[in-house]
Amino acid sequence: MQRTFHDSLKEISGSDDFAQTSVHTKWNSFYLSYYNTLISREQLHHEILTFLKTPESSINHLQELRALIPIEDIRVSSGADEIMEHLMNGSVFIQLDENYNEGILINIGDLNSAIRKNNDTENEYSVVGPRVGFVEDIDTNLKLIRRIIKSDKLKFEESTVGSLSKTRVAIGYIDGITSPQHVNTVRQRLSDFDFDVIFDSSFIDQVITDNSNSPFPLFMTSERVDRIKYALISGQLVIVCNGSPYVLIGPATIFDFFISPEDYYLPWVIGSFFRLIRYFGVLFSIMATPIYVAVTSFHYSVIPRELMGSIINSRVDVPFMPVVEALFLEITIELLREAGARLPTKVGQTLGIVGGIVIGQAAVAAALTSNILLIFVSLSALASFTTPIYKMSNTIRFLRFPLIGLAALWGGLGIMMGIVLILGHLLRLKSLGNPYLVPMFPFRYKDYRDSFVRSSVEFSYLRPGYLRPLTQKRYNVRPRKDKGDNFNEE
Amino acid sequence: MHSAVKENFKMSGFLVFFLIHSTQTGIGMLSFQRQIIESAGQDSWIAVIIAGLCLHIVLWMMVKILNNPSKDIIDIHRFCFGRLFGNAVSLLLIGYFFIIALTVLLAYINILRVWIFPSLKTWELSLALLIILYYLITGGFRVLTGFCFFSVLLSTGLMFSLYFPLQYGQLSYFFPLFNHSFSDLLKSSQSSSVVFLGFESLLLYFPFLKSPQTNIKWAHFALLFSTIKYLALLIVTLLYFSQGHLSRTLWPTLEMMKIIEVPFLERFEYLFIFIWLMIIIPTVCIPLWCCTRITKRLFALKPQLFLVVVLAFLFIAAQPFNDQTKIYALSRFTSQIGFYFVIAYIPLLFVLYFAIKKMKGKRLAQ
Repeated sequence: MQRTFHDSLKEISGSDDFAQTSVHTKWNSFYLSYYNTLISREQLHHEILTFLKTPESSINHLQELRALIPIEDIRVSSGADEIMEHLMNGSVFIQLDENYNEGILINIGDLNSAIRKNNDTENEYSVVGPRVGFVEDIDTNLKLIRRIIKSDKLKFEESTVGSLSKTRVAIGYIDGITSPQHVNTVRQRLSDFDFDVIFDSSFIDQVITDNSNSPFPLFMTSERVDRIKYALISGQLVIVCNGSPYVLIGPATIFDFFISPEDYYLPWVIGSFFRLIRYFGVLFSIMATPIYVAVTSFHYSVIPRELMGSIINSRVDVPFMPVVEALFLEITIELLREAGARLPTKVGQTLGIVGGIVIGQAAVAAALTSNILLIFVSLSALASFTTPIYKMSNTIRFLRFPLIGLAALWGGLGIMMGIVLILGHLLRLKSLGNPYLVPMFPFRYKDYRDSFVRSSVEFSYLRPGYLRPLTQKRYNVRPRKDKGDNFNEE
Repeated sequence: MHSAVKENFKMSGFLVFFLIHSTQTGIGMLSFQRQIIESAGQDSWIAVIIAGLCLHIVLWMMVKILNNPSKDIIDIHRFCFGRLFGNAVSLLLIGYFFIIALTVLLAYINILRVWIFPSLKTWELSLALLIILYYLITGGFRVLTGFCFFSVLLSTGLMFSLYFPLQYGQLSYFFPLFNHSFSDLLKSSQSSSVVFLGFESLLLYFPFLKSPQTNIKWAHFALLFSTIKYLALLIVTLLYFSQGHLSRTLWPTLEMMKIIEVPFLERFEYLFIFIWLMIIIPTVCIPLWCCTRITKRLFALKPQLFLVVVLAFLFIAAQPFNDQTKIYALSRFTSQIGFYFVIAYIPLLFVLYFAIKKMKGKRLAQ
């Protein structure tokens, strides 16, 4: 049996923020139902109630009522489910007769009032470039994207996911550029999706990901508008989720996570240099402590004689095995990071001083650790923070723990085994069915123009081929007319 | 045909370069010099060239029988020997690939024990390595190919470290040129062809390649690249060691790496041996993958299950080889089998295949 509005009314009238009022004039009576927590009171008074009181004759038909009110978003409805859904989104339901199911729905929702209006990109900071970030409201976010890419080809496909939260999720892509195969995959996975409440886009990430058991993030998340814009024009698709300032980008490759938008705002030489520094940082951050453990536990003969003295001096009073010492320091750093992330900003600064300087120095003075290891550990912690995407830097910090364990077990061989496993894992991973290590493997030499280094705009006019874009070329490179190539005549 | 591989499982044909090259350059690179110079002395570099050229012919034969339409050796066996007997011959191949994997694994474990961890137990290490192998092989052929790619990158990068021993090279060790008889050279090229073994797994993964016709040149390039690599390594070795010294050196490549010194690192051969793990992994994985592929094609067995069985056998078989003489005997045995498989069996199959094809063609024509 079809549920009527009256049945549903009984269920929801228990909630105190649900209001039912009636307006009686000489000729008419109107019955209003709404959630007063969801609507804008001001609009209700100025744009609905005032107009309801104006007519000088009797209104018998809903269409007449509709013509009366100067709001565009009005629909006539009698279906209980539809009415309930709109009430949840901030509509007012107006009936001419209480006993009928039919009425009009007027959207005067004020869902944004409790949401911040703008966002500085604090978590993905860059020194140059725009600093506008996404906010928790999907309409604002879509507006931000649409405002930058002025093309009729930019499409947003909205759907609702989450059985309780009814979260609006939009897939954004550029028609004629983004591979339809990827869009179909996301569409399919979103429609198979079953979850109750979507708090953040990362829930979507976790449910529609190709492999949920991997420490590596398979979708990129970003709060930067420019990064999303860049992803769209290079042929990736984006997933915007209401209530989350982080937008997902897919399909992602591992190399995307080490790209900062700032690379494109600086001259390509400088940008490429910074990017290489970041890759070096990753390698250093994963390997430094495990190598220290391996060398000091098993392979002390690889240390040159000149260096041996300082290492012996620093370790001579330390009573622990290298692995214990290393784990002690690494966990201290993790504690500091975790505490720093949970504390308010102002307290966090104090913590940095206490943690970084006092604990470190005291640990060395107390001969709990060697100061060479202290240097290694803090450098590798520093290096791990150079990764622009927070999710990836977490992965990198995590990876060194299994490697430390393996290094303590089998020295350099253990580290190598760990690397083999990580590499094997990376080779297995796919993001939306796209290999994760591309363009490294499968090898695509054309896509190296913007991977480890960023080449100049004259060379990077092609979209990455591994994303299978429908049009390959982003822009035409024309020779500059005012620039001669004859150096003799300059 | 049974061997038809679905189009979306196929890979770009040029990846055969990495597959062939990485399966050829494995554990042999560390120790092949001593066997080669036994008969040809300082002229053995000619033997490597001869061996490389001969293997080009074998490769050409292999491609000739595998192509048009692309099939694997199981189809060829069925074609040549009939279904039942052909399958039986294919079954023997499992043993062949198994023993290759076992030899490489043991040789690496042996190097680790001699050079770095004298007290290491074979079972600990083989167990750990087998777990890694299981993870890699279950990733599928594409993952293995990816691994081959990285292994080729690394082994090629490590070749640059030959610059250091070259500095201490004595040009006089290289002379007199050409003072060995042709039969000596042939004998020496027999022992050098052994180090090129591994590319015969092409017999099984050939159907996975996209448009093999145009891409088979990459297989030849890979073989050529391996020849150049071995040649370079051998020449540097001949320049670095005197003949008498070399004949008493078990792992000349590692001995040469010992002299490399950088301000923050000594005993470079440690690093070399560890990185070599990455390089030997394809030479173990691809033969093991071939084992599972054969059983899958013959009995339609689930490959995961069979892989566990093969790895368990590998683990058990590795245990008795706890000292160097046994491992040495095993690798002699394996290289004998491999040599005859490549030099004798494949040409035989080639002749047989085309003879039967001609006969059948005549019968059809009549």
